[in-house]
Amino acid sequence: MISRKGLRTTTILVAMVVGVVSIILCCCIVLFLNRYRSAMVDNARTGSAQAVSQVSNTVGNYLRDMEQAMELVEQSMSESPDSRDELLSTFLKCRPDVVAVTSYSAAGELLDCWSPGREPKEDIFQNLSFDLERARLAPSPYMTAPHVVTIFESWYPWVVTMTESLTPVPGGDNAAAWVSLDLSFSNISGYINNVSIGQRGYCFLMDGAGNIVYHPQQQLLYSGLKSEDTGALAALEDGSYADDTVIYSLTGVADSGWRVVGVSYVDELVNRSVREMIRLSLWLAVLVLAAALLTSWLLSQLLGRPLRDLSSAMESFEADADHFAYRPVEGTREVQELSGSFGHMVLRIQQLMSTVRQEEVNLRKTELKALQAQINPHFLYNTLDSIAWMCEQGRNADAVKMIHALARLFRISISKGHELIPIAKEIEHAENYLEIQKYRYKNQFTYSFDVDPGCLDYYCNKITLQPIIENAIMHGLDLMVEEGRIDVRVCREGEDILFCVRDNGVGMSPEQARAILDEDAQDRTGIGIKNVNDRLRIYFGKQYGLRITSELDVGTQVEIRMPKIKEAGEHEAR
Amino acid sequence: MRRDRYLAVWAALLLLLCSCGADAAPSARRSVALITKSTDSEFFLSVFAGARAAATEYNLELTISGPETEEDYETQNKMIAQAVEDGAEVIVFSAIDYQRNAPAIDAAAQAGVRIVSIDSGVGSGQVSTYIGTDNYAAGRMAAQAALERVEGPLYVGIVNYSEGTANGQERVRGAAEALAESGRARIAAEVSTLVDAPRAQTDTVGLLLAHPEINVLMAFNEPTSVGAAQAVRTLDRSDKIFLAGFDSNVVTIDGLQDGCVDALIVQNPYAMGYLGVESAYKLLAGQGSGLEPVVDTSTQIVDRENLFTIDGQKALFAFDQYQSWAK
Repeated sequence: MISRKGLRTTTILVAMVVGVVSIILCCCIVLFLNRYRSAMVDNARTGSAQAVSQVSNTVGNYLRDMEQAMELVEQSMSESPDSRDELLSTFLKCRPDVVAVTSYSAAGELLDCWSPGREPKEDIFQNLSFDLERARLAPSPYMTAPHVVTIFESWYPWVVTMTESLTPVPGGDNAAAWVSLDLSFSNISGYINNVSIGQRGYCFLMDGAGNIVYHPQQQLLYSGLKSEDTGALAALEDGSYADDTVIYSLTGVADSGWRVVGVSYVDELVNRSVREMIRLSLWLAVLVLAAALLTSWLLSQLLGRPLRDLSSAMESFEADADHFAYRPVEGTREVQELSGSFGHMVLRIQQLMSTVRQEEVNLRKTELKALQAQINPHFLYNTLDSIAWMCEQGRNADAVKMIHALARLFRISISKGHELIPIAKEIEHAENYLEIQKYRYKNQFTYSFDVDPGCLDYYCNKITLQPIIENAIMHGLDLMVEEGRIDVRVCREGEDILFCVRDNGVGMSPEQARAILDEDAQDRTGIGIKNVNDRLRIYFGKQYGLRITSELDVGTQVEIRMPKIKEAGEHEAR
Repeated sequence: MRRDRYLAVWAALLLLLCSCGADAAPSARRSVALITKSTDSEFFLSVFAGARAAATEYNLELTISGPETEEDYETQNKMIAQAVEDGAEVIVFSAIDYQRNAPAIDAAAQAGVRIVSIDSGVGSGQVSTYIGTDNYAAGRMAAQAALERVEGPLYVGIVNYSEGTANGQERVRGAAEALAESGRARIAAEVSTLVDAPRAQTDTVGLLLAHPEINVLMAFNEPTSVGAAQAVRTLDRSDKIFLAGFDSNVVTIDGLQDGCVDALIVQNPYAMGYLGVESAYKLLAGQGSGLEPVVDTSTQIVDRENLFTIDGQKALFAFDQYQSWAK
């Protein structure tokens, strides 16, 4: 396996798509949330302003109502005392929020007081409902800040006071210069307590100077547990003001110095829905990302899988071109075309390869035949000469033996044209050859065979041993003075069969030994050895063939390695 | 192998979303019991108003109870046990008796109920926070008010109430020490009475008759102040006696105006009720570690000078509708 660098198409594609999608998503979400938030803030401000203006209208109506009531009271002042008392007691019954009606002289003295079921104290310590200075300076009518009513015994309700100056009735006994209405907060609290802006938002009422007139949590303010920054609020114009946490809305109440302030919380009006929206958009983002991931993954599978399949097909084709069977890769049209081309190429290469091998085999066969055609006459002539000489000497028995050997030699050589013959036959062939040669060389050498009987049934290429033995005799032993020796050994080694031909001849240098197999030999025996090696490698593969080890003046050993072949058919067909 | 990586990414994303989406589940209304020394003094009505305001704001189930007299610690102990039985999770408690309420409070704490002490402390180690007046300082303040406004030697008569109550004792101690430090004041006599205006009135009349030299009278809570004021009025000694009382009541406020009362130390009962229930909420919400062990609600001196200033009005007169003026 080749180690690869760089990223896979799938990874790149998925990363790119997901990257682009997430960047776009991020931008969109940020942009959207920003817009959404500012829209929500605007919305909250508008809502708050609306709520406040509604309260302002209601309070305005209430005040107008009170002014009308005040006119009624003014009128009653010009009536006779009896009908005035009757009128006012009816009025107080109708308006339970009016705690007391008081009238004052020009000097600011309390003249009269009407309050259901109550009479003022004789000795009033201080009357908070009326302030002469203020009454003289202020426009008429005017409202006070909240205070308690201090003219009754053991009864101190909180009120605001509305004071109006009276036009003196000419000639009347009426000396009253001012009349005041003490108004409890029961009506105003009803308007204001029920206002809710969001869940926690609320309204309160303050006067122009920033004194709180009515607050839903007035007692909390009075107990110092809560405070409103009314000073700063009083300085603001009407409108809505939002900071990070609170939205203030201010609206003036018509025809009075009072102002309604709405307080609402950004957190619950805006942040909550923004958070909800963030959650929603995160979900959406995840969905979109998932879709992008899935799409890009599918896409990359569509493109990448065929490429990978093709490349793995090529790899296995490289590894073993002979046994590679190509299965077309499925995919898009381009992939199918590519796959088709590759399939064609594979077929073509396999055809070419088999053609080349066939040609090689044919070449070697031709060579072998030429070799046989060459050696046979010469060998035959020498052998026949020897046989003739034996006959002349009257060694008929030897002559017969020679002739038999020669006959067997040729029969095996021919072997009905088969290339592979059983090892037993090949051994017989070599024995016959050696026997003949031994006669010819007048017993200059001896030979032995050591054959593992288990090998005999396997097949081998014919005329494998003969060229080796020939070479041993001609180049190894011919030149020797003392007796030569040739040992032929056949054995199994793992899954292979090993032939070993060893002589004790003159030997050769390592260069010579290598040259025999590599270079084109000039003499006939050289050609024979190379032919054996080439044939074995063509038939069985590069790991098979000849290995020559030789040492000068010691001898030469030639190892022939071939696989175990059970049947001639499987390789013969090639 | 690759599939595993994708799975991991998915899992991470899902986790992120879940953590974003986890909303606090709305819980049922938690139960808080407020047990006070009595239920009819203006002081405690104001405490209740504050407690109710906080209970509404924090969405708590508030039950209010208290014995009929401010000496009945046994009934208070029964109410504590009852509150525990009724499933209250926090008891906001104003103790009649510092010592004799402690076992009941310990038992409640044993049952897992949290304790917030207001107004008057209880001798238990289980109290999460105390919210109320610094009673010793308030006592000193009362003495100081008398010392500043009365010239010459002071013959002080003290109208004391139930001896087991922590806040009363502290106030008397503060006042006595401040008087002793001045060098010109002497405690002429002391009477121990019940926390009940008519009874206090009777006892004070007795005290004043027995000790005509008394020119400064001190009462240390609302009902005894009311009783003392009425005693001074009945004896017509408004001009001769400087009366320093505690807390806001229509009788004492009337007294301030007609002269039979000269100074009131006004506590902030609304704040006690409100902060007490707010602390209960914080305990339930797991913010108990943020609570101070002692919270001092403000006290204020009101006399004829500042009676009808806006601050005086705010301190004396409750705004809330709960207050019953008709008495």
